[in-house]
Amino acid sequence: MKPKIGRALVVGGGISGIRAALDLAETGYPVTLVDKAPHLGGILSQLDNQFPTNHCGMCKMLPLVERDAGSQYCLRKGLFHENIDIRTSTEVVGIEGEAGSFTVRLKKQPDFVNPETCIGCGECTNVCPVEVADDFNAGLGKRKAVYLPVPHMMPNTYVIDPAACTRCGECVGVCPTGAIGLFRQGRQDFSVLVVDDEYTVRDSIKEWLEEEGFSVETAASGEEALELLTRQTFKMVLLDIKMPGMDGVEVLKKTKEIFPEMAVVMMTAYATVETAVEAMKTGAMEYLMKPFDPEDLVSKVIAVYETQEASKGEQISAGTVIFCGGTSCYDPSVGKNTFGYKQYPDVVTGLEFERLISGTGPGSGGLVRPSDGKPVEKIAWIQCVGSRDLQSGSDYCSGICCMFAIKEAMLAKEHGPDNLEATIFYMDMRTPGKTFQRFRDRAETEYGVRFTRGRVHTVYQDDKTGKLLLSYPGDGSKRIESAFDMVVLSTGQKPASGAERLAEVGDCELNQWGFAATEPFSSAETKKAGIFLGGSFSGPRDIAESVISAGSASLLASVTLHATGGGMAEVVGDTPEYIDVSHQTPKVRVLLCECGSYGNVDLEIIAVSLKSDPAVEDVLTVPGVCTAEGWDALVKTAKRKGYNRLLLGACMPYAYTRRIKDLGAEVMLDPSLMDVVDIRTPWIISTDGIPNASATQQAIIRNLKSGVSRLIGIDPLPKSSVPVIRGALVVGGGVAGMTAALSIANHGYDVALVEKETGLGGNLDWLKNTIEGWDAAAFSENLQQRVEQHPKIGRHLNSTVISSFGEVGCFYTTIETREAAPVTLQHGVVIIATGGGEAGTEAYGYGKSPAVVTQKELEQKTFSKEIDYKTIDTVAMIQCVGSREEPRNYCSRVCCASTLKHILHMKKENPDLSIYVFYRDMMTYGFTETWFTEARRAGAVFIPYTVDARPEVMVEDGASGVSVTAYEPLLEARVQVNADLLVLATGIVPTLPVSLANAFGAGIDDDGFFMEAEPKWRPLDSLKEGVFACGIALGPRSITESVATAQAAAQRALRILSKTALSRASVTARVRHSLCSLCERCIDVCPYGARSVDIDMQRVLVNATMCQGCGNCASECPNSASVVDGFFDGRMLDMIDMVLD
Amino acid sequence: MIPAIDRRSGETPLTLTQKLAPVRKTILACIQCGTCSGSCPNAAAMDATPRHLWRLLLTHNEEEIFKSRTFSLCSNCYSCTLRCPRGLPLTDAMSLLKQIAASENLVQYKQSVRFYKSFMESVRRHGRVREMEFMTLYFISMRSPVIPLKFTPLGMRLMAKRKVSMEIPSKGTQKLDALFRKAKEVEEQS
Repeated sequence: MKPKIGRALVVGGGISGIRAALDLAETGYPVTLVDKAPHLGGILSQLDNQFPTNHCGMCKMLPLVERDAGSQYCLRKGLFHENIDIRTSTEVVGIEGEAGSFTVRLKKQPDFVNPETCIGCGECTNVCPVEVADDFNAGLGKRKAVYLPVPHMMPNTYVIDPAACTRCGECVGVCPTGAIGLFRQGRQDFSVLVVDDEYTVRDSIKEWLEEEGFSVETAASGEEALELLTRQTFKMVLLDIKMPGMDGVEVLKKTKEIFPEMAVVMMTAYATVETAVEAMKTGAMEYLMKPFDPEDLVSKVIAVYETQEASKGEQISAGTVIFCGGTSCYDPSVGKNTFGYKQYPDVVTGLEFERLISGTGPGSGGLVRPSDGKPVEKIAWIQCVGSRDLQSGSDYCSGICCMFAIKEAMLAKEHGPDNLEATIFYMDMRTPGKTFQRFRDRAETEYGVRFTRGRVHTVYQDDKTGKLLLSYPGDGSKRIESAFDMVVLSTGQKPASGAERLAEVGDCELNQWGFAATEPFSSAETKKAGIFLGGSFSGPRDIAESVISAGSASLLASVTLHATGGGMAEVVGDTPEYIDVSHQTPKVRVLLCECGSYGNVDLEIIAVSLKSDPAVEDVLTVPGVCTAEGWDALVKTAKRKGYNRLLLGACMPYAYTRRIKDLGAEVMLDPSLMDVVDIRTPWIISTDGIPNASATQQAIIRNLKSGVSRLIGIDPLPKSSVPVIRGALVVGGGVAGMTAALSIANHGYDVALVEKETGLGGNLDWLKNTIEGWDAAAFSENLQQRVEQHPKIGRHLNSTVISSFGEVGCFYTTIETREAAPVTLQHGVVIIATGGGEAGTEAYGYGKSPAVVTQKELEQKTFSKEIDYKTIDTVAMIQCVGSREEPRNYCSRVCCASTLKHILHMKKENPDLSIYVFYRDMMTYGFTETWFTEARRAGAVFIPYTVDARPEVMVEDGASGVSVTAYEPLLEARVQVNADLLVLATGIVPTLPVSLANAFGAGIDDDGFFMEAEPKWRPLDSLKEGVFACGIALGPRSITESVATAQAAAQRALRILSKTALSRASVTARVRHSLCSLCERCIDVCPYGARSVDIDMQRVLVNATMCQGCGNCASECPNSASVVDGFFDGRMLDMIDMVLD
Repeated sequence: MIPAIDRRSGETPLTLTQKLAPVRKTILACIQCGTCSGSCPNAAAMDATPRHLWRLLLTHNEEEIFKSRTFSLCSNCYSCTLRCPRGLPLTDAMSLLKQIAASENLVQYKQSVRFYKSFMESVRRHGRVREMEFMTLYFISMRSPVIPLKFTPLGMRLMAKRKVSMEIPSKGTQKLDALFRKAKEVEEQS
């Protein structure tokens, strides 16, 4: 993939950072991805299971087209992409400049372990004497000071925690490759000048410091010292105060005149302490009292050295910056801690619970009480710990805890004993997503999870049984106390610990809740042009929302790069050309890394054994491939002709992906004809702890032979590619459709925007403002103008799609415009933005009295001033009308916020108005919670109801109002409201025509919304590549959320539009038509929808760009007609034979 | 009968509604989570939980509030105020209810109001409580011969342990009169 002009910086390597980086990298921009942690993945690297599947699926974010450019293995293990430069343990310390030309200063933690040479053997951890709490297991287990930050990381490079390390040096001694440079690395360049008139003092200091690896010079007098300082460069001076001739203070003054930045530490005996203090004022860094402990002195020098090392920043240029700093978890141990967290071991946080039941966790997956290891029979989840709590400074809902508590309760039911009781204590169970309510219902009905309404405030421990006691208010006046084995605190999301500093560095603001502030109608834009926000850095978000907002940020970043001179133009350079070897017999050259002799393996014997295969042309050795010299030697060897397959025997194959590509370009051999076999890391076979050289040797030979077999089997067919028509079709002209169209058109590609109505605007026709007070009408007006004036957008009003055929890169779609002949448009991608509308209802007296209106009608009547709130007394509102129960069992997300908006407006018009809201769970996720508080403060009364006991509405003939009666659970009585106005929140239904979805091969879910390929990781894609959706077509969402999906969907589309042709990956499936019996079983098992049957040709077709080479079809096919390139049956059996030999 | 909870149908005396308005205002943001009721050490003795009481107040069941003895049992421990996720001044609200009950002279709180008044009277006279005087004042104000009898065993035990001093009621120094006058003024203003 040729890189495009312009670079983006993504700060934070969690899920949103990875998404944003991959998005930009896939459209071709070079990206620098930094994370202050030593690994990528953020909090997700600790979570094994995500709802609704209760599995992980992170790998689904990896590139699907041009996937050879990136890694194709578990994303939790690591990430590689040829356009992404990953910098871990790195922080951003400064950003200067404007959009298009930022200069960013990065600060990297020193690498104590050289990642190039560490082979992940773990010897260092075995000898490390330091034990600290393991962050990866949320502090539940212990780890050493030298450790693997994520146990499943690849490459498994160890790191040193500089704060915990005592520099004892044990690990340095045992490292077989000398990768740990705890002391030596860089210290040789750090020269220290020791000035003392006493020979013994300066000489012993010199000895101590040299032992630690520093360069030391000495001077016997002040004069000599100054002379040395002018001749040589020093990083630090140790200076005695009392010296004959020029004294220390004098030397200090002179030194500071020449080198104001010099670190000077004074040495003094007791008698001259006052002088030392004086010296500090002159600019000395510190003073040491004689006689001093060698360790004190050495640690002081090390501290100065490390600070200087750390401040050595690196500067990079970037056209745009995306902050994906994530959030931190609320720590219940601070403040009042009424839950006894960290006090009672059986009180854990949600994250700790995830680690407890994880296979890689401290308990290896068993569900037992942390205090005594006994099985758990009763668990309680306490919701809203650190959320919805003004006393802990969070007047917002974290939005994720309800769903993760449900998931955890279900996992507990699966992992624990049969009689396990799981109870969730909640205030409102917030399930504001398309599939969330059904997930909750399943937990309740299928799994038997108990949901109890009530906030638990305190946890006590029963001294006798050790059980945890919770007391909570039951309905009415009852107070209930019950005992549990374990309590899980659903801790909320807090602004990331570095949010304030990062916002300062980026010159953007924080909002009232402490998260990074966004502009109206955007989840990604900041006040500062060119700097964008992804994921939960700008507010609490779940995975899907984070992925979407990261997509929105990357789109805006891409627009910035495009608009400031970067753009989709490619960097001038050669595309690597490979020699066609398809007509040659396979000739394999095997290159063995010489450090493979570790473990007493004889490379000669291996070479002889391999040469017995006639396909092996020659076996050569190279010294230490991981070193720069070794690699140069390898390239030199590889340049010698006479072979057409290359097998490298070294360690850590994953580390070579990029290098193999470079090598391929250099020697003009297709990288898919090269492979790396690990001959080192896992192959030290030992008997009784003593390495068994011959067994190890045999194992290595078998693996190399298997590797040779695989290479022989690879068919060097030239890669085919699919041309791309660089234009998009957007169906639907609402806010989502318009935003998507503009997002693509701003990159210079043609967009056809199809709208069935006579004008653009969609729901913003009637929706006038938002709960935040933003002017939705003006926003829509502005979008419409920009669309109308955009030269790249062709508008097709009064039009509908009648048919479409084609695949990613080339669709032919026929549209019909009223009173005109149908036209056929050609486009490379399609974005469906057909939106949705307010659901109708017949419930609660709707239609029988003019006093009963829907939310949409209320909005319209409010705007047209048809209702005068000053003349009415009482308003009743009913939430979830027809929603969150079958058949429309989903939450519409917007109605609760809309209700609050209207309450605040009505109360502003008439403060004496009585407002009663009948609700099931108020879904005021995120910052909307603040308006919930406001509405209560304004005096609205909220009365909960359940589906078993709904409010009843009486409409009397001739009466102007209606009466609503309902059961009030706290009063334990039925109450009646005589309302002048009754507002029904009927929710949202999609308006996605089935015929339209079918025309593009997109799926539709049970509720009529667009079916995502994967609800969390690919929330905008259809299973069919090139077909995307945004806005309400995907599921109910607010304006801001719709804009985010539109931008993210546009970004998904740009991945394809940015290329003239999509090249097929090296490993894809094919059909051998002569063997195919058209049973179509392969079509059913293909998880990517890449297969179809061509009735006319009587053939099964494979879309090479959609096929991900997973091999399901090949294993399903009864005739071996379906094959995966490079993995033919014969070759696979050969490979297995070689290993079993 | 179904209680109507909106104002139009209410027959509650306006004065009470007006008096309760400031209390209502302080607890408007209540989310009925029940933290107060779970935290209250006296909840077991209460006929309605604090949450129930706030709910009555928010749903305009003013008269119901004064049928309950809940607020008169509040011992000002501030547990609920400390823990309320909305940060509402619940203990203060309880005190306000006590004040309203006292000023309304409601029969059901006569005992507790007189108890408080006798206590404060003793404090006014001497700057501290003289138990004997305090109880005497209380018994006199209750005008019931049964009550002293009820307290006799407790009084005997306390006296045996020398917990109750045997001072005769007196007018005291009256040094605190000015302070009490000022407090009354402030109370009447608010």
